[in-house]
Amino acid sequence: MSRIPFKIGQPKKQIVPKTVERDFEREYGKLQQLEEQTKRLQKDMRKSTDADLAMSKSAVKISLDLLSNPLCEQDQDFLNMVTALDTAMKRMDAFNQEKVNQIQKTVIEPLKKFGSVFPSLNMAVKRREQALQDYRRLQAKVEKYEEKEKTGPVLAKLHQAREELRPVRDDFEAKNKQLLDEMPRFYNSRLDYFQPSFESLIRAQVVYYSEMHKIFGDLTQQLDQPGCPDEQRERENEARLSELRALSIVADD
Amino acid sequence: MPQKEPADMTSHGDDALSSRTGAPGGDDRLSEDRSLLQQRLAVRELLDTEVSYLHVLQLCASDIRSRLQQLPQGDLDVLFSNIDDIIKVNSRLLHDLQETASREEEQVQLIGNTFLEFQEELEQVYKVYCASYEQALLLVETYRKEPELQREIQGIIEAVLPQAGPSGLSFLLVIPLQRITKYPLLLQKILENTLPDASAYAVLQRATSALQDVVTNINEYKRRKEVASKYTKVEPLSLRERLARINTHTLSKKTTRLSQLLKQEAGLVPRTEDKEFDDLEEKFHWVSLCVTELKSNVAAYLDNLEAFLRFRPQDYNLEIPGGPVVQYCYLARDLQLQAFPEFKQQLEAQVWQPLCSLAKALAGPQNLIKKRLDKLLDFERVEEKLLEVGSMTYEEEAARHTYQALNSLLVAELPQFNQLAMRWLSQILCAFVTLQRDLAKQVLQRAEDSLAQLPHHHLSEPAFRKLVEDALGQTSHQLHAFQENFEKVLPPPTTQPLLPGAERQVQALLSRYGPGKLYQVTSNISGAGTLDLTLPRGHIVALLQNKDTKGNSSRWLVDTGGHRGYVPAGKLEVYHVVPTEEELRGQARPHKDSQHQTPEPTSAPVPSVPTVTQVVAVYPFVARSSHEVSLQAGQRVTVLEAHDKKGNPEWSLVEVNGQRGYVPSSFLARAPSPAPWGWSLPS
Repeated sequence: MSRIPFKIGQPKKQIVPKTVERDFEREYGKLQQLEEQTKRLQKDMRKSTDADLAMSKSAVKISLDLLSNPLCEQDQDFLNMVTALDTAMKRMDAFNQEKVNQIQKTVIEPLKKFGSVFPSLNMAVKRREQALQDYRRLQAKVEKYEEKEKTGPVLAKLHQAREELRPVRDDFEAKNKQLLDEMPRFYNSRLDYFQPSFESLIRAQVVYYSEMHKIFGDLTQQLDQPGCPDEQRERENEARLSELRALSIVADD
Repeated sequence: MPQKEPADMTSHGDDALSSRTGAPGGDDRLSEDRSLLQQRLAVRELLDTEVSYLHVLQLCASDIRSRLQQLPQGDLDVLFSNIDDIIKVNSRLLHDLQETASREEEQVQLIGNTFLEFQEELEQVYKVYCASYEQALLLVETYRKEPELQREIQGIIEAVLPQAGPSGLSFLLVIPLQRITKYPLLLQKILENTLPDASAYAVLQRATSALQDVVTNINEYKRRKEVASKYTKVEPLSLRERLARINTHTLSKKTTRLSQLLKQEAGLVPRTEDKEFDDLEEKFHWVSLCVTELKSNVAAYLDNLEAFLRFRPQDYNLEIPGGPVVQYCYLARDLQLQAFPEFKQQLEAQVWQPLCSLAKALAGPQNLIKKRLDKLLDFERVEEKLLEVGSMTYEEEAARHTYQALNSLLVAELPQFNQLAMRWLSQILCAFVTLQRDLAKQVLQRAEDSLAQLPHHHLSEPAFRKLVEDALGQTSHQLHAFQENFEKVLPPPTTQPLLPGAERQVQALLSRYGPGKLYQVTSNISGAGTLDLTLPRGHIVALLQNKDTKGNSSRWLVDTGGHRGYVPAGKLEVYHVVPTEEELRGQARPHKDSQHQTPEPTSAPVPSVPTVTQVVAVYPFVARSSHEVSLQAGQRVTVLEAHDKKGNPEWSLVEVNGQRGYVPSSFLARAPSPAPWGWSLPS
């Protein structure tokens, strides 16, 4: 983990075996990836639901503005149509809100909770790193004294250095082991953790779109306009336009 | 033009007659005969010309038109307009006229009746042709500019109708116009040669004026169309062009209109009230409002739809190989690639585009309404002038005419416009609704497939929601556990074990200064100035001042127990010997560098020297008041509150030997028992 080139203060002995280092990096790397993905997923889900709400609100505005036009007072048929449309839009908006609430509760909140573990993990990894640094430093110190001529003062200092080293080494070993145990467990927990959320997400869509199908299906019947295929609609629209253009008061362009 | 005999002959003939006989009756009979002859000739002319006219029309419509292959159908429609309808009407007219030939006496009367019958139809059918004639001429002009094309056209025409001459197409196209204007003249000629007292006369007279009316109406219709097209054009003029348009003429027009309007507003001039028009205009205004509002609301809806489609939660990879997560990703991808884009496309084609066309169509009537008002103001001023002066100029007459044309045009067509627009609007709204239903159907088809593969698809929705709630509650606890475990990885111990012989020094400092003032050196300090100390790492000092004489707060004055001097504040860390309040209560000490996002505070262990709580009185203490309690050295005490009533931590409330009272906090100590580094002791 420390990429400082060899200098005074670095131990000669490789205190952490390469395999352990590699394992640690691999496990931590996976978790770092997972952290990023869950963060971005949470953000996207939130933005997606915001856009969903906005869409629904603008649909409601369509019928609301129509309803407030004075034409409704003059034309009974128009009024009936617009009222039916308004009712439908308002109901859909309510269902949409419910859908969003469900998503908030069962997807976005859990994502947030999952993400909130990462700062603690990252801190723990940092501390392990710190411990490793201390360990290395003290190890180097011990090695320094070991290489010197074994005089009285030197021996005393060596003894003291060894005393200092021991707890620090134990500390590092403990942290290392703890993380190597916990990290994979945490990583694997995602499998069971997220399944309920996504199941809930799918079901919420089904509930919402079932209502939508029913409400707009009923409305289509009520408006007495059976669904016509796209080409026919196009022809209808062209016919309407031609009718208007046939009038002298309509400009040709 | 009725043929006039040379004036000489007539008068000469009459004189001769009258001088010979002297009786008027004979003159009359002769002129009668002549008239009758003229009449017959005129009738003959009418029928013959009708035959040849029809013949030419038929050649144009069939032979010539079918051979003009190189022209696009749209052009042919403009050129020949409704010539087929004209042929139909005129064929029947001819047939009826020819029938009259069998009844000689009444022929003239029958001719008159026939024309009266056909008056309406002729007006309808020629009106259309004449209105598009101008455009047809424009086309002919464009063809003339292409010599190759021109030659081809000319060739075709000459092959069929050589008498068309060099002007070919335009010669042919004007023929119906000429014909319809000729009818009144032909009839007039017959009329002139009919005796006024004959029964046919009245009928023929009516027929002649009727055909005259037809021509007038056709002209009026044409004029209206011209006026309409002049004012409905919304030309995108540049500023320069606009400026160029303003000349003294238009300026004076505008100022007179303004003054007229002001006069109206001031009540000086009666406003021409036209309830019918006002109602129409009001309805048109609401229709416009409806269209423009709907258009902008639909635009907003489409924008939001677009924004919604930009987010793709299914793209993120949690490395989960199966189950609902994967199901969802498939579903979402499917919806985003197919169902929603299709929906958007259909919305644009069936709702947005028509709304745009409808909105554009509003411009024409809006302009005309505005122009009508302008012309109305002009008209009113003209009327005023007429009252004052008794006459008006040609220009003024034209203004009046224009106003009337615009007014009648709008009154005729605005109701239709309103009705058509409303009809279209309703259809557009229905399309919107249908598309929503279709989208729902599409999504459901796919989502229900996914649903069937979910583990709990058999559960009802409420049951499922309960299940999820429980599951999430459980996993929430698990996450907590993980978080706590990670937080148990403590920072490496920053305090060094005391150097041998330092304990006594620490005690001395402690008793003199109290526990809050002790600091430990975190890394070797080499003093530079005379007042700066040189201390090894781990040394304990007591704080005297947290700034130097110059006010520099990063240089602290400390006491080592032997020496006093300055050390850099950054190399000192608080040294704990005595338990602080938080430790005693086992509460979380906020970490300087970690953020807790979970709502429940987790208990964080002591960041520095991990100790076991054991409180022992270090020094003897004699209570000086009833609030205090006495201590003996080495006595065990229980700390109730690590501060006094005012919050001062230098006194602690303790219980000892069943007595309660305050003692100096610095007289209490914990006996540190070593715990393994990096773990908190199990609670």
